[in-house]
Amino acid sequence: MALEKIITSSSDLKKNTTASFDPGAEGNWDIVIGPTNPLFNFQFKEIWSYRDLLRMFIRRDFAAQYKQTILGPLWHLIQPLLTTLFFYVVFSRIAKISTDGLPPVLFYLSGITCWNFFSSIFTGCSNIFVQNAWLFSKVYFPRLIMPIGNAIGALLRFGIQLLLLLPFFMYYSFNGYDFSIGWSILLLPVAILMMSLIGLSMGIIISSLTVKYRDMTIIVGFATQLLMFATPIVYPSSMIDSESLRFWIMLNPLTSVVELFRFASLGVGTVSIAGTMYSFAFMVIALIVGLILFNRTQLTAQDKV
Amino acid sequence: MITIKVEQLSKQYMIGEQSTGFLFHDMNRWWHRIQGKDDPYLKISDLNDRTIRKTSGYVWALRDINFEVNQGEVLGIVGSNGAGKSTLLKILSRITAPTSGTVKMKGRVASLLEVGTGFHPELTGRENIFMKGTILGMRTQEVKRHFDEIVEFAGVQKYIDTPVKKYSSGMYVRLAFSVAAHISADILIIDEVLAVGDNEFQQKCIDKMKSVSTEQGKTVLFVSHNMKTIQDLCSSVITLRNGELDRSNIYYKPLIAV
Repeated sequence: MALEKIITSSSDLKKNTTASFDPGAEGNWDIVIGPTNPLFNFQFKEIWSYRDLLRMFIRRDFAAQYKQTILGPLWHLIQPLLTTLFFYVVFSRIAKISTDGLPPVLFYLSGITCWNFFSSIFTGCSNIFVQNAWLFSKVYFPRLIMPIGNAIGALLRFGIQLLLLLPFFMYYSFNGYDFSIGWSILLLPVAILMMSLIGLSMGIIISSLTVKYRDMTIIVGFATQLLMFATPIVYPSSMIDSESLRFWIMLNPLTSVVELFRFASLGVGTVSIAGTMYSFAFMVIALIVGLILFNRTQLTAQDKV
Repeated sequence: MITIKVEQLSKQYMIGEQSTGFLFHDMNRWWHRIQGKDDPYLKISDLNDRTIRKTSGYVWALRDINFEVNQGEVLGIVGSNGAGKSTLLKILSRITAPTSGTVKMKGRVASLLEVGTGFHPELTGRENIFMKGTILGMRTQEVKRHFDEIVEFAGVQKYIDTPVKKYSSGMYVRLAFSVAAHISADILIIDEVLAVGDNEFQQKCIDKMKSVSTEQGKTVLFVSHNMKTIQDLCSSVITLRNGELDRSNIYYKPLIAV
């Protein structure tokens, strides 16, 4: 009998809970904890009040990365350079894949930089709950701080790697290569923003699923590798001649963003308004879905990890 | 003034190994929800008595908890292992959400649920004070203002620039408590962490909690197995037994008006 009473009272309570979000209801409560939270309440105001914590997390991640390394931040530059060398040998010299008329080194370097940026946001965000269980199970703070900090950290590393393009850019300019960059450079922030938000949204969607189904961690591991080949990183999308194949490659929302990035930074790329709009729409929907899922998952994530 | 109001709070936990069977439970739950029915698994779960083997796979860690706490009160929470004390504190600290029921609170909450909470082993004591302060919702400026007080209370001046991984567990808890006690929160939630500290420090913490409640009007929730400490410190006490409030065992010492 007692059990039935609780069940009825819990459904009664749902009515009460919704009523108590009205500030005039009874007293001004600063914190109301219930079984669920409003669907579209993303606590942006609260996150803003925790901005100092955000800054600390970013600084900590940055500092902790170089502890006990000899080359320290240099690794950020060595890694893309070595990958470029290998891509150049394998895809340009051996497989003879076109690079859209761009110097191969610049083509690969910009592609790798761009892909590293996306994949570090995506994989970083996709494991938020499991990785931070030690912290999340002890203290409260808006959990969204973590993916945001992760994305900003990746943005900083991306900025450093982007500078690496400059010497190559200058070298090729001096040697008579004519880069057709003008106003298109203004599209660079757009491409970067879309890249980071798509990575963040997909990451937080996966992170919410990983809490319960640990299979996701395994999927993410190889999916990012495969996804790179479904994105025009080692080949330009102008090279795809099969109409049906082009459709599938364009279905990948990253395709247009990568081409946009390449067009903005190197002046060559297959950019279409329809493709960009598609990626933009994908980003908006994924972001909303991701925020809702993340918001719901954070409530009881600590019981499951 | 009431600062914490807990109404019909219940928390259900899944026990045993999590496996593919739960995918079926999830789908069944979702199917009930789109039909507008109640969660089928809320009906089958057991009372949380850890000595009796049950088979349903769900237990009530807390069931129908109701209580209120006034401002400036020190509420002791007692009960044996597995009675639901830590679950209650976790819900109050917003670590996890209840299955049903609500908690309403006024002001800022700081909780100390385990030794070293929010401490990063590689960072020094100084860096960790800032880290932990901001985790508890303070701005960097505020931490700076209270920094000397915090270090002095903890008594770890000598080790302040040493990574905390080299601290002893006593030093850990000294620093952790000190940060929590000095931040400008209105409600302090302290789980059984003081047991690690030595007698002198435990006494110091108890005195500190007394003074923040009587002088600064902060509300303190305190879990302990040490009845002497509870008697010494708390103005009221609730007892949990198998996840339910033991009504025969509510001790209430009326507060002198704050």
